[in-house]
Amino acid sequence: MKRRSALVAALVAMVAAVVAVVATSATAKSSAPAAASSASRSLVSCKRGATIGLAAPITGPAASLGQPQRRWARFFVTRWNAKHKKFKITMTEGDTQLPNVAEATKVAQSFASNSKILGVVGPAGSQEVVATTPILKGAGLAYVSGSATRTTLTDGSRSGFFFRVVPPDAVQGPTVARFIVNKLKKKNVLIIDDQETYSTGLAADAEGTLKNLGATVSRDSVSQQASDFSALISRIPGSVQVVYIPWQLPPKAQLFAQQMREQGKRQILLSSDGTFDPTTYKPAQEAYASNFPVSAKSPLIASYKRSHGGQPDFFGAPTYAAAQTVATAVAKACANGSASRAEVRANIRKSNIPPAASVIGLRIKFTARGDLNGGRFGLFKVTNGNYTPVG
Amino acid sequence: MNLRLVRGRTADVLFYAGIAAVVALLLKEALTNPGHWSLFFQLAVDGVTLGSVYALIAIGYSMVYGILKLLNFAHGDVYMVGAFIGYGILTLFGGAANWTIPVWLLVALMFGASMLGSGFLGVVIERFAYRPLRDAPRLAPLISALGVSFFLQNSALLLLGAQFRAYPFGLIGQGGVSIRTVFISATRIFVIAGAVVLMIVLTVFVRRSRLGKAMRATSYDREAAMMMGIDADRVIASTFFIGSALAGAAGVMFGLVFTEIFHFMGFTAGLKGFTAAVVGGIGSIPGAMLGGLLIGLGEAYATGYVSSTYQDLIVFSILIFVILVRPSGLLGTAAVQKV
Repeated sequence: MKRRSALVAALVAMVAAVVAVVATSATAKSSAPAAASSASRSLVSCKRGATIGLAAPITGPAASLGQPQRRWARFFVTRWNAKHKKFKITMTEGDTQLPNVAEATKVAQSFASNSKILGVVGPAGSQEVVATTPILKGAGLAYVSGSATRTTLTDGSRSGFFFRVVPPDAVQGPTVARFIVNKLKKKNVLIIDDQETYSTGLAADAEGTLKNLGATVSRDSVSQQASDFSALISRIPGSVQVVYIPWQLPPKAQLFAQQMREQGKRQILLSSDGTFDPTTYKPAQEAYASNFPVSAKSPLIASYKRSHGGQPDFFGAPTYAAAQTVATAVAKACANGSASRAEVRANIRKSNIPPAASVIGLRIKFTARGDLNGGRFGLFKVTNGNYTPVG
Repeated sequence: MNLRLVRGRTADVLFYAGIAAVVALLLKEALTNPGHWSLFFQLAVDGVTLGSVYALIAIGYSMVYGILKLLNFAHGDVYMVGAFIGYGILTLFGGAANWTIPVWLLVALMFGASMLGSGFLGVVIERFAYRPLRDAPRLAPLISALGVSFFLQNSALLLLGAQFRAYPFGLIGQGGVSIRTVFISATRIFVIAGAVVLMIVLTVFVRRSRLGKAMRATSYDREAAMMMGIDADRVIASTFFIGSALAGAAGVMFGLVFTEIFHFMGFTAGLKGFTAAVVGGIGSIPGAMLGGLLIGLGEAYATGYVSSTYQDLIVFSILIFVILVRPSGLLGTAAVQKV
């Protein structure tokens, strides 16, 4: 009798255990989205200051892009903290090691699980934005990039979470194409991309518009790691009137210009915002570069140059604007002493920073999909390091 | 006729047929239009310049492999350090725009300091990263080499920053030589001539000097060499010094021609130098020189006649082809193993 009751008790215990396990796992499954939304809504005390994240390629092959971004972000934090004695910003940095997106996801994961982080500046590369979206979005974090320009990033799938302070390729490429055909009156263009997402996207957008405008377009590409362009330059036919290099690295563009000059090639050289650096990119031949309507003589850039050995690091400047956007939204959300990531997202969505206060020369205001409202590019004539607006 | 002989002959036939096909294609392209000759020769100049730099890097890979059977993956980063030492000397004497001493002296100092500094770095790497692992399984020093490579890259990043540094454009001279429509700048002439001189000096040194003979003996059979009284440690350290010094010279040459240097430049150059060493026959110094020139010319002609997009694809296809038909490289010899 005793044995039977013991058996029944054991059976009941087993069934109870199985039911408990099933019930727990079912609860866990149903609470996964809830966990994300609770992370999004959970309040963080931020009476005297708050933490933001910076995701940038600080080391690795793209460190020359990530380092200026970090310097500009740090520059912003220093200025902010000097001005706002009662509400300080702390920045946690994550090294994404572009193009290794696996590192970017690790950084995103560490930001997502750090409850102190209320908003993220970055990531830098478009491919990194794609890879980190599930993690950052799942944690309810807003992320504002200062360099991801792939047009499809703002297709609606990241609305309310992803924002960028740089206009997309769909704006820059056609602007350049119209300038070549309508202003320069040239119809034979060679486009050379640097095999990176930024560059190939811009090249494709410019090519499409150029063809629509009746221009003859040929394409080639070089590795971003290459330094010898002489063989490629040797084969540029005399019939080509304009060479368009939408590259990310100003020193490489300068090298290309020098090697063109060495071989006596006289085509007009056109480049993109990635090469906008008067201290490095100063070709001796006729050249133009597209960029945000930033003034190289703005007080903010002058101040940055003073504290950074005379280097303007133009590529990193939009990251200042991204940090400014996130910090402003965080400060607003923390006005009552605590804030949630959801509040920060809502504030970023409502950002309205005037052009005079933004380093990129544009008002920082976003569309519903996260693009800059009215984001546009200007064209600058490059003469021995002097950049003069021409369109 | 045994099977090995047939395979050897077939490989030779395939190899020479491949070379003949490439030469025929290039000549056809050049002959199709007389105007194409200028492109053909301009590309040759570009290829030989780049190939000279690759050859100097490849020699270091080959020398170290020849003596230790070690792939020194940190070699590309030693080349990077050499380029930065040259830049440091340039900065010390007034910078890229306003140097304060005669150009010939400045360039001599840049080369001297870079070769000495890189050579010394090579010796330090050997002493601390490879020597303790000399009797370890072969994978251990290989991992150590990768570690040293990352260490050097990230040290340069930490100490010097990620930004590009620029050697002055046309430091050797703005002019050059024009042969019809082909232009060869003074810098390129200097770099090609400098590389040839260094290779000749090295060849004579290895063949004639006592240390060179000791290096060859150690490479052939280290134990036997030691039994004959050769100080293997000293010979190995000297090998690292010479190989690294040549990489340092290559770094300065690269800076003079291509002007821009940065912390990650050793990765690609090291990979190409290693490829050149394998193509030429790793362990063979003349093979490394030949391999470097072939890789340089291959890159230039691939870019000039096909597309720069496929440049690396073509270069590494050459590597695969050479390895398939000549596993020991163009001038390498098959290792005989006693069983």
